Amino acid sequence: MLKRYWLIGLVVLLAFSLLFAAGCGEAEEVVDDPDVVDEEDEVVDPDEVVITVAAGAVGMELELTRDLAEMYSEANEGVTVDVLDTPDMADDRLGLYLQFFEAGSSEVDVYQIDVIWPGDLAEHFVDLYEYGADAVADDHFPAIIENNTVDGRLVGIPWFTDAGLLYYRTDLLEKYELDVPQTWDELEEYAQIIQDGEREENPDFWGFVWQGNAYEGLTCDALEWIASNDGGTIIEPEGVITINNPNAIEIVDQAAGWVGTISPEGVTTMAEEDSRAIWHAGNAAFMRNWPYAYATSMADDSAVAGNFDVSPLPAGKSGSGAATLGGWQLAVSKYSDNPEVAADVALFMASYEGQKYRAVEGTFNPTIMDLYDDPEVLEAAPFFEALYDVFINAVARPSTVTAPQYAAVSELFYNAVHDVLTGQKDAADAFEELELDLQDLTGFPVE
Amino acid sequence: MAGKNDLGSTNNWKAPKKMGISDLARREERLAFRLLLPALLIILLIAFYPLAQVFYTSFTDRVFASGEETNFIGFENYRQLLSVHVMELEPVLDEATGQQLVDPDSGEKVFERPLDVLPREPNRYRELNQFDLLGKRYVIGATDPNFIEAVQNTLVFTAISVFIELILGLAIALVVNSKFKFRGAMRAAMLVPWAVITVVSARMWEWMLAPSRIGMFNALFDRLGLIDSPIAFLASGGYQLSALIAVDVWKTTPFMALLILAGLQIMPEDIFEAAEIDGAGKIRQFFMITLPLLKPAIAVALIFRTLDALRVFDIFQVMLGQSTYSMASYNYFQLIGNRNMGLASAIGVIIFILIFVFAVSYIRMLGVDEE
Repeated sequence: MLKRYWLIGLVVLLAFSLLFAAGCGEAEEVVDDPDVVDEEDEVVDPDEVVITVAAGAVGMELELTRDLAEMYSEANEGVTVDVLDTPDMADDRLGLYLQFFEAGSSEVDVYQIDVIWPGDLAEHFVDLYEYGADAVADDHFPAIIENNTVDGRLVGIPWFTDAGLLYYRTDLLEKYELDVPQTWDELEEYAQIIQDGEREENPDFWGFVWQGNAYEGLTCDALEWIASNDGGTIIEPEGVITINNPNAIEIVDQAAGWVGTISPEGVTTMAEEDSRAIWHAGNAAFMRNWPYAYATSMADDSAVAGNFDVSPLPAGKSGSGAATLGGWQLAVSKYSDNPEVAADVALFMASYEGQKYRAVEGTFNPTIMDLYDDPEVLEAAPFFEALYDVFINAVARPSTVTAPQYAAVSELFYNAVHDVLTGQKDAADAFEELELDLQDLTGFPVE
Repeated sequence: MAGKNDLGSTNNWKAPKKMGISDLARREERLAFRLLLPALLIILLIAFYPLAQVFYTSFTDRVFASGEETNFIGFENYRQLLSVHVMELEPVLDEATGQQLVDPDSGEKVFERPLDVLPREPNRYRELNQFDLLGKRYVIGATDPNFIEAVQNTLVFTAISVFIELILGLAIALVVNSKFKFRGAMRAAMLVPWAVITVVSARMWEWMLAPSRIGMFNALFDRLGLIDSPIAFLASGGYQLSALIAVDVWKTTPFMALLILAGLQIMPEDIFEAAEIDGAGKIRQFFMITLPLLKPAIAVALIFRTLDALRVFDIFQVMLGQSTYSMASYNYFQLIGNRNMGLASAIGVIIFILIFVFAVSYIRMLGVDEE
């Protein structure tokens, strides 16, 4: 009898340790990924420095990062730059990075980090001012440099900036004799008109697609609705919780009404690439997305190439639209074996040439102000000039004021909004509860 | 290990032998122990050490991947996860008539809001569920409703999926055990879903369940005229768990069938011949002979599958993300998403205890250890 229990105990224990290994193993798997290792380099030179850049793969990101890596490797003898493909969803990417940090791993030298992370992750990165960033810092948008500066240390060099945009179909607006919607009410109305008309021939057509899954992307979308309706920014920069207000409640209830009418039921499971797939196939009249979708929509396999344009997002009560500030930075790991070389790679990728290449090829918004006057850039992405104001006035998420708890704040917020979108609660109840949750978490006062 | 003491006296296969050989047996036993020692040390190192570490961390407020100082906080993490509170909700009365108010939209009676009733100190209770009992309305509050729901989801998922897998697995095993042409090929083909990496099959099913006609199921239902608008299987609501159970059944029924097939193959033919001669029909043979003889194999299969299903992570994480959790995916979220390593460790410990209880009670119930 006793022996059997021992055995059971052991079996359970082993099974259990596998559970944990599943979590911890991930980092190792990635390292084994054949993509990381440059297969052509069979003979490894002992002096050869290998720098690994962890980068995103949304749209054309990965391809362009690989191109830049190759350029650097060619120009610098003895240095090979590898690119590590990381998950599309920001939350998953952060999870992967944290595992590298917890292990103090030197596998990755340069990390592509979200605009909301510098506060939370500062302790794992070197100060780029010590590696020559002071010479170029003034070329970038000051607001982003400020965002990336933690206790006087520049933890990330801005790489590209992002702001939510409204993509619309020029051909369909013309067909139904409509203008570009200026308010959410207009958007709702036009989307319905176009959808009703197009449905006769295309049963898969939808009026408006956006990002409604319970993840960081929904925080961005919902913040745009709320800010454009004069409903604040969840938690204000001076540390006051403002989310539970009538304007915020009104607009989120309105957005919940889109689900299943002008937007598919499934919009509550969609991230950027899911909504882009529908748009790309020509099955949507409007889409909320980041600038990267401009280049992909122009591609040869796109059903909407030549028939679309972008504008600022519609306005609510405030009278003007709001765009959430996004964007990514390059940071150099404190655990890197070659921080000098890694910093040089990061600064090269974020340099005038590097950003220009990405802007021309992939419409990634530069963070260097002069690039918005560069004729080649403006030819590839004419909207850069027209929407310059949108990019510089984008609304920041409350990541600085809530650091290091922003992830938890955002999770509470997007889950509350998601509950409203899926009809489990109405916005008034959801935000009343969210207000209490945020108070418990941050200790900030309520307005 | 425990067998070392009762050697030579009670050990049934050595008992009838002479004393001289018992010495040899003792030496062999010692050798066996020495040979097992490295394996035991490895188990101590890779299983006990991390487990002890998790137990310890569960009593702290450690933050994942951070240099912040860690404090010992006793049972606070467990209190946060497991506190549940039931309270009565008073009816809301119409001040004029003294009658209970009725919601004009839904036609349902109005009660106090749980938000106003549930305690807020020291930890805030959030609404988990409401129920009626003896004409009164009650609310169940929990300090971490996500975790309690994750436990519920996991238990429902486990019970239903393992039951369906057992029935289907048994049927499939009986079929591929009978003699027919291409039996070998059939057995190999049967294993294909099980051989697919779970994350890959979860992603594949996610596409098949897509909420538009891109998804196979919506396209099929649409073609058959069963639905007016596409169903969002993976958005919140009743479809989520059913969809996940379907995926799990598709994937692991072959494993169940394989284990049961192994049990079927060691069954002696002559018993069935004897039963045939005695006049027992096929159905009687199945219930009187096959099933009882299959019990150990089924028990092993059930234990494997149940313990596996209780730890389910990949399909929840891939298909539902942060919208609905299993115990393991909530554990992952608390560790990686929230970086709350102390709380995540406490969840790990609770999962461990739950699985241990399941394992022991299974073995008791199915009498595996009483042969």
